[in-house]
Amino acid sequence: MIKRIFGVVIVVLVVLACTESDDTGSGNTTNDTFDRVAMLTNIADNIIIPAYQDLDADLNTLVASKNAFITEVNQANLETLRTDWFTAYKTFQAVQMFQIGKAEELFYKDRMNVYPTNTTLIENNISTGNYVLSNASNNAAVGFPAVDYMLYGVANDDVAILNVYTNANYINYLSDVIDEMQSLTNSVLTDWTTNYRNSFVVNTANVASGSVNKLLNAYVFYYEKELRAQKIGIPAGVFSTTPQPLLVEAVYKEDNSKELVLEALNTVQDVFNGKAYNSSNEGESYKTYLVALNRNDLVEVINARLDVARQKVQALNSNLKSQVETDNTKMTEAYDALQMVVVSLKSDMLSALNVSYVVDPNDNDGD
Amino acid sequence: MKKTVFALIAIATLAFTSCSSDDDNTTVILPPNGVTAPDTYSFERDGNTTVSFDGQTTRIQMAQELVSALKNPLKTEVELDAMFAHQENANDFTDAGLNASNKNLRSKTAASVDYYSANTTEANVIKADFDAYISDQVNTVFPNWADNATAGVAGQIQEAGGGSTRYVNGKGLENNQAFAKGLLGALMVDQMLNNYLSTAVLDAGNNIENNDSAVLDGANNYTAMEHKWDEAYGYLYGNEANPAVPTLGQDSFLNEYLLRVEDDVDFSGISMDIYNAFKLGRAAIVAKNYEVRDLQAQIIREKISQVVAVRAVYYLQQGKASLGTDMAAAFHDLSEAYGFIYSLQFTRIPGTNQPYFTKTEVDAFIATLMSGNGFWEVTPATLDTISNTISAEFSFTTAQAGS
Repeated sequence: MIKRIFGVVIVVLVVLACTESDDTGSGNTTNDTFDRVAMLTNIADNIIIPAYQDLDADLNTLVASKNAFITEVNQANLETLRTDWFTAYKTFQAVQMFQIGKAEELFYKDRMNVYPTNTTLIENNISTGNYVLSNASNNAAVGFPAVDYMLYGVANDDVAILNVYTNANYINYLSDVIDEMQSLTNSVLTDWTTNYRNSFVVNTANVASGSVNKLLNAYVFYYEKELRAQKIGIPAGVFSTTPQPLLVEAVYKEDNSKELVLEALNTVQDVFNGKAYNSSNEGESYKTYLVALNRNDLVEVINARLDVARQKVQALNSNLKSQVETDNTKMTEAYDALQMVVVSLKSDMLSALNVSYVVDPNDNDGD
Repeated sequence: MKKTVFALIAIATLAFTSCSSDDDNTTVILPPNGVTAPDTYSFERDGNTTVSFDGQTTRIQMAQELVSALKNPLKTEVELDAMFAHQENANDFTDAGLNASNKNLRSKTAASVDYYSANTTEANVIKADFDAYISDQVNTVFPNWADNATAGVAGQIQEAGGGSTRYVNGKGLENNQAFAKGLLGALMVDQMLNNYLSTAVLDAGNNIENNDSAVLDGANNYTAMEHKWDEAYGYLYGNEANPAVPTLGQDSFLNEYLLRVEDDVDFSGISMDIYNAFKLGRAAIVAKNYEVRDLQAQIIREKISQVVAVRAVYYLQQGKASLGTDMAAAFHDLSEAYGFIYSLQFTRIPGTNQPYFTKTEVDAFIATLMSGNGFWEVTPATLDTISNTISAEFSFTTAQAGS
């Protein structure tokens, strides 16, 4: 039966091979009537810039509580500093996906959130007092993960941690790392508000350097490599022989690494739906673009899969390290749910929007 | 079977079409399918071969060594685990080339894009099954290597008439056979049918664009798409002395069992069908004809799945024939059957994203075979029931596969 069907298919193929080609893939024009400027404007004005403004404010607060701490090293000031650090870390989850413009130019995310942090490098920097934090070689010794170590991991308990900060080198390094985070973020925000925003919203051409292409590429890359893989997959051992509990985000604080994943997942979904930062208003975004292309089906699938992924993440222990160590199956279930979204975003959404994914070299892992 | 292929060519020939363009009146006669396969699996660019599947050859050879080592009672669990999950430059194998390799078996066990990229939870369960065969072999069978096996107790058992000695666990299962025949599915079949022949892999990233424009994969002489297809080929023919012209019987996995199925007159021609589909699919990639390519992938999926199913039924029936008269022979056949049944979950129904038997169904077969004291008390009726359930999903009968 199947054999006979194959025979028919071959004949059909031969006939098809002779039809005129109507290939429209010129690739640099948009054949749709969707208002890309409106979408870029909504994402820039109502999502990206407010998120950076919020993070900028959080980091200003963090700098202030850091200054209080280094002026007077005590438990109360340490607690405030820790709280403000984690507040900023949660807010940061809303901007890491926008690695475009000044953020791309400054390697912003690589200087803010490379983990696992390199404690040997940090300790070496501290002991020599000789470091240039902006050097790429120090990416694994700065940013939120470095502060995580400085506030929770430099000694075994709070008394010992406070004792560490009787050493001026530790004080200086903590201070420099936090100041660097604040100034980097401020540079990115300032560029958005004074310069980049206006050129960004009108750069609608469907080329690799076009805003829609850059934004979507950064978004899909972030979701696949940084949210799905780094936050869940790598610790769950999906890419290694055994699970790697020490590779979770915020590993020194430990107790609510899950919250960072949920923040990240929520903002990914909000961006998809064009939902304004910290508001319920929705504007033009990937969702309305797909709707304009009659792809409501895909919108529903993506939102449904993101919802399932959230449920699976919510089912995890708030301490992901402990989740990996005690019941890694729940971690892989969360990973699998997150992976379902990758297929929808990377294959289905990008092709529906006719946007090329600038494949990273590791995508075709030859063997 | 060959007659059918000729018939298809004839039909296609009847459909020869004159394609005229508006610009001139020349007539182009297309060959069948618009693609012509070479006589052998040989493809060149600028006078050099474009065919490459070192990684597959390496893994087949690693699997050969590991399966042998599973019958060496001097091996430790740590050593066997290391052979399964080899790390680059670790001294796990007798072959220096294998030791130097950064490839390993475990990372590609139940690891296809189509079946497991969003199902790592199930993949982990499957990997753990293989870990468990190793563990059971070392901790249960090796210590009793010189003792006679009895129901519920591991040990050795000899086939009638001074035949081979088999080493089984308490349920009469040879862990080495379960491992080898299960890996045939979890590694070779899964990677071939559900990864390298998958459009998700063949067309990944810019593969179509690059293949259309002959953009090569880095410093290699092939396009990424050509290479993916070759890697599928490598899981079947990677251990051949001259893989372009396969002789079969050159490993203990798919290559060997394709020969066994071919040698059953009920299935003669199947090996040529698979070889021809591989050749034509690869030629189709060169010709940038992806419809013909995907058609060949479907043929390969159907035939390779059939190989697994035929051997599963064959060993169930052979085992049934020896039950009660030659338990060692029965245990050996049933252990092979166990592995081939396990491998059914990696098969692929053409035109779908589904195996012929799901993991749930396979687990139920295995649970039935292993209930109580396992092969010591399994009944002919049970073996027939499983055989018939499998045959019913394929185009063969239990009688055709069973002898």
